Amino acid sequence: MATVLVNDKSVEIGPSEKLNCIQAAQRAGVEIPSYCWHPEMSVVASCRMCLVEVGDKKPDGTIAMQPKLFPGCQTPVKDGTVIVSNSEKVKAAQKATLEYLLLNHPLDCPVCDQAGECGLQDYSYEFGRGYSRLQEPKNIKPDKDYIGDQITLFTDRCIMCTRCVRFTREISGTAELQVISRGTHEEIDIFPGDPCNNKLAGNVVDLCPVGALCSKDFLYEQRVWWLKTKNSVCPGCSTGCSITVDQNEDVLYRLKPRVNEQAQGHFMCDEGRFGWKYVQSEKRLKRPEQRANGQVVSRDWETIFPAIRNAIRDSLIRSPNKFAAVISPWATVEEAYLLATYAKKLSPHAKLAIGPVRVVGEDDLYPKDVHGKPEPKTKFTIRAEKCPNRRGVEAVMQQMQGSVIEFSSILEGVSRGEIEALYILGGDPEGWISDSDATKLDKLKLLVVQDLLESAASRKAHFVLPGAAWAEKDGTFVNHNGLAQAIHRGVRGPEEARPDGRILMELAEKKGMFHAPTLRKEIAGVVPALAALSVGELGELGVKLEQAAAVEKPQLQTV
Amino acid sequence: MAINAKDVEWVEETPMNFWEATYLPAVFDGLLTTGAHVANNRTVTEQYPEQQPKLPTHYRGVHRLNRDDKGRVKCVACMMCATACPAHCIEIVAQDAPKDDPHWADRDKFPKSFVIDELKCIYCGMCEEACPVDSIELTHIYDLVGLTRQEMMFDKEKLLSVFDQTKDSGIDPIRTHKGKLGHASDFTDLHTLGPATTVRADDRSAKAVSSGVISN
Amino acid sequence: MQFINDFLSGQWNWIVGMLPEAAKPYAMPGLVIFIVLNVTLGACSYLILLERKLSAWMQDRLGPNRVGPMGLLQPVADMLKLLLKEDVIPGHVNKFLFVLAPGISVFTTFLAFAVVPFGPVPKGLTAGDGQFPFIIAPGIDLGVVFIFAIGSLAVYGIILGGWASNNKYSALGCLRASAQVVSYEIPLGMSVVGLALLCGTMSIEKILLFQAERGIYGWNIWYQPLACVIFFIAAMAEAQRLPFDLAECEQELIGGWHTEYSAMKWGLFFLAEYTHVITISFLTSILFFGGWHLPFIAETTSNYSGVWMVKVGVLLAKVSVFIVVIQMLRWTIPRFRFDQLMSLAWLCLIPLAMVNIVMVMVVKQFELNEWWLLPGSAAIFLAAGLMGTQSTKPFARRVAAPIETPGHGGHGHAHAH
Repeated sequence: MATVLVNDKSVEIGPSEKLNCIQAAQRAGVEIPSYCWHPEMSVVASCRMCLVEVGDKKPDGTIAMQPKLFPGCQTPVKDGTVIVSNSEKVKAAQKATLEYLLLNHPLDCPVCDQAGECGLQDYSYEFGRGYSRLQEPKNIKPDKDYIGDQITLFTDRCIMCTRCVRFTREISGTAELQVISRGTHEEIDIFPGDPCNNKLAGNVVDLCPVGALCSKDFLYEQRVWWLKTKNSVCPGCSTGCSITVDQNEDVLYRLKPRVNEQAQGHFMCDEGRFGWKYVQSEKRLKRPEQRANGQVVSRDWETIFPAIRNAIRDSLIRSPNKFAAVISPWATVEEAYLLATYAKKLSPHAKLAIGPVRVVGEDDLYPKDVHGKPEPKTKFTIRAEKCPNRRGVEAVMQQMQGSVIEFSSILEGVSRGEIEALYILGGDPEGWISDSDATKLDKLKLLVVQDLLESAASRKAHFVLPGAAWAEKDGTFVNHNGLAQAIHRGVRGPEEARPDGRILMELAEKKGMFHAPTLRKEIAGVVPALAALSVGELGELGVKLEQAAAVEKPQLQTV
Repeated sequence: MAINAKDVEWVEETPMNFWEATYLPAVFDGLLTTGAHVANNRTVTEQYPEQQPKLPTHYRGVHRLNRDDKGRVKCVACMMCATACPAHCIEIVAQDAPKDDPHWADRDKFPKSFVIDELKCIYCGMCEEACPVDSIELTHIYDLVGLTRQEMMFDKEKLLSVFDQTKDSGIDPIRTHKGKLGHASDFTDLHTLGPATTVRADDRSAKAVSSGVISN
Repeated sequence: MQFINDFLSGQWNWIVGMLPEAAKPYAMPGLVIFIVLNVTLGACSYLILLERKLSAWMQDRLGPNRVGPMGLLQPVADMLKLLLKEDVIPGHVNKFLFVLAPGISVFTTFLAFAVVPFGPVPKGLTAGDGQFPFIIAPGIDLGVVFIFAIGSLAVYGIILGGWASNNKYSALGCLRASAQVVSYEIPLGMSVVGLALLCGTMSIEKILLFQAERGIYGWNIWYQPLACVIFFIAAMAEAQRLPFDLAECEQELIGGWHTEYSAMKWGLFFLAEYTHVITISFLTSILFFGGWHLPFIAETTSNYSGVWMVKVGVLLAKVSVFIVVIQMLRWTIPRFRFDQLMSLAWLCLIPLAMVNIVMVMVVKQFELNEWWLLPGSAAIFLAAGLMGTQSTKPFARRVAAPIETPGHGGHGHAHAH
């Protein structure tokens, strides 16, 4: 065990750990300010913000300090290292560094989108001098509106930490960004004709500690201090990136990744970052509908629930074995459980099927080499399986009927007349059913569609129930790796749309209100594969399913 | 919760002297005072519509949005006013300035729409204080009337027209001294003693050794 | 000429002469009632204007000045407004009593006026005579009692109004009003007992004549100054005028018992209050200040042409003075607290009135010179003031701080002994 002294406080460092001064200080609860350092990227020690006093504690107890200041990010700690970050010397250095960084930084915080979450603002407030002694005019460089399709650069705000440059070189491997010129004339730029449009490009906006790189999507939409944040999980692919949902007054504005080593690390891809716009789509189902002979009979939740129950009961009396429920892999574990138990309660012969699992191409691995091929050490993966919760839904189904039925076999069953009543729990934001497949559904005597967006199936349905998008509900997603993470309700759905869990609770006349942690405990008791959910609250980082292996390869069965 | 007996401070009534105890002299004294006012024939009433009030310089009336020297709206849509507003009566939608238009070349952001609900507003002047570019200002216009609520939602055009209407009125001078967002380096002259803002000469911001630096 | 002479002498036989025989007894009373009602109503509305103007001048304002010259038509506008306003009867009230209450208020205050002489009441009136009576009901021997009886009925209107409104503020207001009126009736009645003893009559006309016959030094104010003060205070309290308007104090009770009233029903309550003020002022000037009597100009022996007009004028002038004083008091003195209001009645006015009666009895019994009453009253008044300065007096109701006993505050001391 190595012992490090941080501001007279000792911290234990594990034998195999390789930490720098910033990380060691973090363990002691001491913040050493830094701009250019990022735990995932190489160290350049260029911003000089993390200058600290470093010394050595000799075995005889004497402490020998180094005469000059060292950048904390570049200085590894070992047994006996002494770090001082609160001495007058260090404070003077921090003040000087910040004054220097602000020499050419325009004071346009009012128009800057970063204001409120800006590293320069925060550190100036905490460590800065409060005024500038510069008498000369500032060096103003022209803005670069097109760094990428989603990225704009306010060149004059840049403090040359080069995090963005290192990101494109080390994490995405695409290396579009570079530093041009030298000295005061340094600027971030792209190579001519090669914009920063890789699938991870949005991360450079998050990485930028100041307001230099801005997202065009979010630019001037909101002031960040108005945003209210909820932890959630990106539903874009089965990687299940941990993210935060930023909203104000029930309008979703942006997604940002949060650090979760078990899920994805520090970053997220642009597909997820900008791919949530369907939440605000005009094609969202907004009101429940009961239809008979193509005419809308009712648009009232209160009358539709009993009507659905009656319709399913009638169909079960007519033909007890011809009822099936389809659960989309976009549904949460809780919803899958609620619908599965409801269907099995109505009829033990009810068939449970998983909705279409959308797989696009192959897993996209980063970083890439110069030829666009993935390098051997993968740092980020965009998965081909574009649904967030296949494993969670399958685990529930496996428990409820011992096997997982595919959607295609349900369609075949419908065309063969083996299924007369179908309940579809959707959630896929892209068209999950083709028009030709939808025509097969014409044979059904009863079709209930609970979905997010209008589709070929919802147009044919006898009952349409408007569900909630992932940002509008609580629940659990299980990613490709068996990591169960909680999603939280950030915004309210449009008009009459309700969280799917609530709809299913009310439909099944289950007692109580929909409360995800309570339901998780119940599921953990019923589904052994999901026993890890018994903690109820999954925390920020989620919980690994211990028995994940049991549902690794579901046995496919045809009807 | 009942008040703790220890927290009660008992104050004895001051004993009355003889003439106070008889009450009537005090009554006559009061009548004398009121009677003197009846007799003095001095009136402080202002005959409002005919006689316009002389408002103090710090009066806070209807807002205006100032124009810069190019005639554009000076507001940079930073939404500080909307943040500071305790009544939540300011709604701003920002837009990035058209970069190819030379008219807007020096600006990053401007308000696409800027609406103040003058009915919700409590005229506290926080927006004016929060504004970093001295764009929003409260004028001396006090007779604000309208027939519909919609009429009282002042949009950008209306607020600019208030500026055009009041800037030369004498009582609402343009209080700002900068036409653009300031840089720390050209923070050279800090006029704190404007005509309508009364900063006392002994105020520490007025006494600052060098401009922009407030010494304790 | 005959007509003018008749008019000036108060012999209005020509009016009676025009009527059929059966109607003759009702002619003069009818005429008087007509005049009294209309003059009082008109006076009320202009008293409101006067009060608004007075209060404005006191506060260095202008007062109503937009309707008509100097705002003189303001009462007309006010009255039109009250008449034309929507008359709201809330859904939760007892409708019958709600409508009845303002009627009772106005009715009782006007009824009290029946025995108040507003001019030189001629002796020996007979029914059907052409003599103008200057009083609605001449020859009532118990005039003072009648006024108090009717006056105490006025609280009925207030209680009905407050209770029927079915509103907690109204209920509190009417409860306060009834407690107040009941309390102040006692000093009001007792202050006049002394007068009755002195003058040997309870008839208001006769009390007036009694003073007028004895000249300026016969005015009761010389013999009963203390009773006059008590009467004036108690009467103001009866009329719910500030500083005694606790029943409708806006800060605590919104509008008190007339919170739910609007338009002309509210106007009727207002009218009742101002009529009450007029009655008080009449009574004060008649009972204590010689009524229409003024030395050299309006004596009982004055016998010049049109003397009744002078006498009416003198009386009205005295009345106006009291009205102005009442209105000025309203804008001068702040409102009492309710416990102060009660202790003023029970601890101050009633004992004083009682002592005053005893004093009059002593003077009458031992046939002392009546002038002893003046220093006597002053002595009683000063003695009361002197007692007021003594905070240790046995009937002081002062809240005192709890006496701190040693060892009471801390826990540790209790076991020390």
